[in-house]
Amino acid sequence: MRAPRLLLTLRLLIAVGVAKLAGVAIRAIGRQGTHTPGLIARKLYPGIIGAIRHPARVVVVTGTNGKTTVSNLLTEALLGEGMRVASNRIGSNLAAGIATTLVGAVSWTGKPRVDIAVLEMDERSAKLVLPGLAPDVLVCMNLTRDSIKRNAHPAYIAWIVSSALSESTSLVLNADDLIASSLGTEANPRTYFAVDRLPTDGTTPRGAAVDVAICPVCDSRLEWDYWRFNHIGKAHCPTGDFRSPEATFRATEIDASAGRVTLELDGESRQARLINDNIVNVYNEIAVAATLDRLGVTKDRIVAAFEHLEPPTTRFALEVVGRVQLVRLLTKGLVGVACSRAFEYLATFAGRKAIVLNIDEVSERVTEVENTAWTYDADYEYLANDSLGQVVVGGVRRYDQALRLAIAGVDPARIVTVQSEIAGADQVELEGVDDVFNLHSVHNAVITGTPVQERLRARLQERQ
Amino acid sequence: MSRALTIEMLFPEIANLHGDNFNITYLSQCRPDARVIRTGLTDTPAFVSGPVDLIYLGPLTEQGQLKAVERLTPHRDRIEALIESGTMFLFTHNALEVLGTRIRNDEMHYDVPGVGIFELESTLAMFGRYNGKVIGTVPGVGPEHPVVGYKSQFSMVAAPESLPGFFTADRGIGRNSATAVEGVRRNNFLGTSLLGPILVDNPHFARALLAQLDPDTEPMLAHEEFALAAYDARLADFRDERRWHPFERIRSSA
Repeated sequence: MRAPRLLLTLRLLIAVGVAKLAGVAIRAIGRQGTHTPGLIARKLYPGIIGAIRHPARVVVVTGTNGKTTVSNLLTEALLGEGMRVASNRIGSNLAAGIATTLVGAVSWTGKPRVDIAVLEMDERSAKLVLPGLAPDVLVCMNLTRDSIKRNAHPAYIAWIVSSALSESTSLVLNADDLIASSLGTEANPRTYFAVDRLPTDGTTPRGAAVDVAICPVCDSRLEWDYWRFNHIGKAHCPTGDFRSPEATFRATEIDASAGRVTLELDGESRQARLINDNIVNVYNEIAVAATLDRLGVTKDRIVAAFEHLEPPTTRFALEVVGRVQLVRLLTKGLVGVACSRAFEYLATFAGRKAIVLNIDEVSERVTEVENTAWTYDADYEYLANDSLGQVVVGGVRRYDQALRLAIAGVDPARIVTVQSEIAGADQVELEGVDDVFNLHSVHNAVITGTPVQERLRARLQERQ
Repeated sequence: MSRALTIEMLFPEIANLHGDNFNITYLSQCRPDARVIRTGLTDTPAFVSGPVDLIYLGPLTEQGQLKAVERLTPHRDRIEALIESGTMFLFTHNALEVLGTRIRNDEMHYDVPGVGIFELESTLAMFGRYNGKVIGTVPGVGPEHPVVGYKSQFSMVAAPESLPGFFTADRGIGRNSATAVEGVRRNNFLGTSLLGPILVDNPHFARALLAQLDPDTEPMLAHEEFALAAYDARLADFRDERRWHPFERIRSSA
């Protein structure tokens, strides 16, 4: 038996060595090399994610939204604790990216050279990653609807993740998400985080994408103590068969103007800096706190870490030109839920609005098959408001977008269609407008979002 | 029609995936006078005890499919009688499979009978989701206005050739990757795996369905200008050879 094991070890070291050399070569030509070395390593040694020696602790962060931010924040906080941390924060969150990170976390002889790995994982990749990795901690931020074509529905993703989980993995889960909070089995140790009821919460779910509405035990309609969006909130079955799990880590009082938040940390209440007032980032903050606590960081150090941690804000930019606010908002097409959050945020602006909307995803028809059903998974209804002066939609699927807006209740007289994605910036009516929005997707952020922003800015400056 | 046009949406709290319930939102905007009944999972369906003009069931999760089977099986005879008497049904995406004879899902470890109205066997491949487009002529609408739609599904459906399809695809696959016959049509029962929502994406089909639902009322489309423009753009795209990928072709055997 010894000879085969030796051969395996040798093969593993060869895979590690070749992957490391590939990384060196790729970086030498100016690229980051976060994916290919792992790809090579997995080719040479298919089970390398499990076979390679892991750091003393491994944390995986997954979920539909927030996993990148939480991974980044955790990595920063742990570095601040003086730990040696391996993370894939600048690279791929697929199996190959995780393999690249693990290869980078060992020496040429295969010995761990970091204390801890913080790995962001694409939730759809769980089957390839988790069985071998068996992380010490898995953080799941939420599981909401994503790409119809790839992710189907959140219960499917929950099934994939749960099927791949080791019973020894300690789970840090969002209690306000009735799908994410159900991950794993009774054997998994679990910690829940939540954000307490907010003034903006309701008790009646609405919108296209409410994925938990009934009691899993008796099928009765759930009653909501508070409902936030999609299936996010706190619910119970009126028959008493079921209720949301109680969270021991909670963000309770949010004072956006003072930039402060009260964190309930497993029985201890602390005032902390609010890293960002967007609800998504409040969840990110309390999730980071819960995870750091599980990793043994003291509560004082957790609160201190938030004094300097900053979430990335690349999805949103606001500038004031004259008396008008010009807002650029990434509105991720193909993902209805992400669009809904952008529309909901837009609706919080009180002034008269004009929107240039370019979230057409027609580009996907070239490399794969197009499917526009996602527009009906998004709550365009947030835009059906008297404060909307005009919305100009551009792109190949502009009539689909216009139809969706009209069905949502936007007055058709306020909807303008233009063929060019960029020309909307020239045509949108700015007279009497307080807030101008530039909504674009990921794929057209540079080719459309940037020139639209520049033209809108120039027009607003001319009016001063 | 002396009484209000009545549309029953079955189990919208669980049958609501992929935006497909906008089929009914759109119909109700075309017919603002229509009465829409939203029947919850624990409610007795309205069609059991009274007249309903259209019965709709939309896309479900895998567990949702099983719940729908459980809730509809007691009403099997009534559903069959309504189909035979010409009541209109629209079942979209995997809702059609609920009325079949068998749903098999090896990865999730179940193999269960459906309601058993149609001789359909569904097989789910949880790591083999199929995505594709479909275009085909629907009887009663005309070849100049074919139905266009999308598929995004884990399941493929096997059925005997004798079971009439909703339509036969000109391009794209039908019930499974070896046939162009898509969905099921029996009298006014229409079942299709197409997403869209199909009525929103196909205004000519929506108009024909409205006319069939209520022959005494001139069918009017909500937001007709946008709907027709969107359809024309999509149709032009679907008629463009460059938009079709090899995996959207019918294979010689399933």
